[in-house]
Amino acid sequence: MSKLMLLVKQLYKQKVTSKSFIGLTILYLAIIAVVFNWSSIKDVFKSDDSNVKIAFVDETKANLYDQFPSSDDLMFMRMKDSEEVVNKRVKKGEVDAALYLKDEKGKLVVKLATADSLDLEIQSTINQLAENAGKIYSVQKMNLTPEQAKQILETQTLVKQVDLSETVASKTSDEKSAGILVAYIIGFLIYIFVTSYMSMITTDIASEKGSRVLEVLMASVKPSTHLFSKLIGVFLTGMTQIILLFAGAFTIAKFSSKSELVNGASSMMKQLSPSYFIYVSLFFVLSIILFLIIGALAGSLVSKVDEASQVMMPGIFITLIGFYVMISGMGNPDSMLIKVFSFIPFTSGMVMTLRMGATDVSNFYILVSLITLAVTVMALFAISLTFYKRSVLTYSTGGIIQKIKTVLKVTT
Amino acid sequence: MTLAIKQVTKKYKDFVAVNALDFTIEQGEIFGLIGQNGAGKTTTFRMILNLQETTEGEILWKGKSVHKLDRDFLGYLPEERGIFPQMKVEEQLYFFGTLRGKSKKELKPDIDYWLERFELVEKRNDKAETLSKGNQQKVQLIASFIHKPEFLILDEPFSGLDPVNRQHLMDSIIYLKKQGTTILFSSHQMDNVEELCDHLCILKRGVSLYAGGLQQLKEVYGKIKLSIRTDKTFDELANLTGVNRVQKTKDGFTLFLEDESYSEEIFHYLNGGKYMEKFSLDYLSLDEIFKLKVGEPVE
Repeated sequence: MSKLMLLVKQLYKQKVTSKSFIGLTILYLAIIAVVFNWSSIKDVFKSDDSNVKIAFVDETKANLYDQFPSSDDLMFMRMKDSEEVVNKRVKKGEVDAALYLKDEKGKLVVKLATADSLDLEIQSTINQLAENAGKIYSVQKMNLTPEQAKQILETQTLVKQVDLSETVASKTSDEKSAGILVAYIIGFLIYIFVTSYMSMITTDIASEKGSRVLEVLMASVKPSTHLFSKLIGVFLTGMTQIILLFAGAFTIAKFSSKSELVNGASSMMKQLSPSYFIYVSLFFVLSIILFLIIGALAGSLVSKVDEASQVMMPGIFITLIGFYVMISGMGNPDSMLIKVFSFIPFTSGMVMTLRMGATDVSNFYILVSLITLAVTVMALFAISLTFYKRSVLTYSTGGIIQKIKTVLKVTT
Repeated sequence: MTLAIKQVTKKYKDFVAVNALDFTIEQGEIFGLIGQNGAGKTTTFRMILNLQETTEGEILWKGKSVHKLDRDFLGYLPEERGIFPQMKVEEQLYFFGTLRGKSKKELKPDIDYWLERFELVEKRNDKAETLSKGNQQKVQLIASFIHKPEFLILDEPFSGLDPVNRQHLMDSIIYLKKQGTTILFSSHQMDNVEELCDHLCILKRGVSLYAGGLQQLKEVYGKIKLSIRTDKTFDELANLTGVNRVQKTKDGFTLFLEDESYSEEIFHYLNGGKYMEKFSLDYLSLDEIFKLKVGEPVE
């Protein structure tokens, strides 16, 4: 076995058997299990008679009771009593709230009286029902025929999009929605990966440097071999965790009562082209490698593990910027901000993924961004090979700039 | 010669860490590199290990530049000890051994032998971080030569060891020498250097003050250390011709002479040339030579 493979094997074995790796993977899987089974979990905590009872008092004589259908969570009880009497029943707890429908100058006015405030979800449902009832009430007031009323209420103007570009096939709205979702997942994965695995590679190198075991290793292997081993080892550890999470998530989804989540996800994936997944994979892998190199360089600068968090900050900050730009661009993925950041190598992994999925960006721009990212990775790797050899055995104090200055001073 | 350091200089901008260092080490020899802190010992080790490049000069192992050689012929124990804290003792030794090109099968008998020799057999499955500092040092030491290197560099191997373990280490170094290993080591404990080394180099601020045989170095100064037991006073002895310095000891005095030839005159002065309970003329110890040497101005 080559020295590189020995180092990779040692690092990989150490990381995947560590308590933190196992604990974190189990925690993530537990969160996934809770998300997939949220409805069932919610049902467990809900008692049978927990539906909200609303007294329904209609003073409009327009017969709007049918517009407020009862459900498992919400039950409307028609009452003829006066407001005063009904309010007393609310206060006594016989009903949870009272809904009064009145006419004021030809418009429907709805009043909700409660003793204890209702859940946000229930309030939102009542608001929607009241809004719909208001429209129907207004239409009824116009003395239209049922057909005319139906036509007005069901009128929905659709914008049919026609793309005149001859080079790019325009995406459907379903494809764009799926693209945004995948972009969000990829962006989130890159963010999680960068923060946890950049931190892992930085602290690992810093700890080896601090304990001087690095000097022993360097006496046996070249700095480039050591750097390679760290990049490969941590990358494989990360990939292992991702595979475990995906496999775990799939298994959990398969056995959970809401397996329609998997069906929904798989039908959403079908909306996206294979080339999209190839691009996303390349952006994902290259972005991870880029930040792992930054993490390795950061680790080689510090003299002890306590200083690792200080040198990691710039890398984490850059990822945060990329993540926030991506989140902000979800509403408007065609903005100039998104376009600019989709070409910056440190953020393109997240932002170009969003553009690819949610807009009709041409392959040319995607390739430009991808090549820029790949060239940056190669350039940074070449620089890091030279710098790593110098920095990894240089011990200095002070901030990052001071540390870099010291490395350059004592090694040139 | 096995290792040749030829006019090696290491500069960091304006600072010269090592200046025109020149010495050779023969096969199977124990060579001491001594000097105060910051003298350039670790820098010299790092250049031999190819961890740092030389600014000028070259370092040859059996006639070939060390930069062009595979590093498996080397073993290295750094001054500040470093092992993987989470790794078990035995696992650690296998890891470093295989990293130096040995198979697990080849390593097994040697690991068993050295764990036994350093009384670590019961600790073989313990994580390094759970061991005492002394035991961690022993593990680190075994790791440095478990692959049977031709050339072993030990940077301050005795620091932090208790007398028993220091003796263990001394015996091990002698054992390795008998096996044909060439050893270069540094130490602040001159008695260890004196006991182990055939040749040595004294460094001061990157400059070699002496490089050669230990006995030859002692002969340069001659037998100028005179140990006596007398009823003369300190001042009387200090005022004698040819006496540079007087030191009171628990059972008499030690006189440091300008030259060996003054001893006869002093012998007659002390007791009229008759029987004396103690009158012993010796070479200076390495510790004394070292203090004299590093006290001299660097040319």
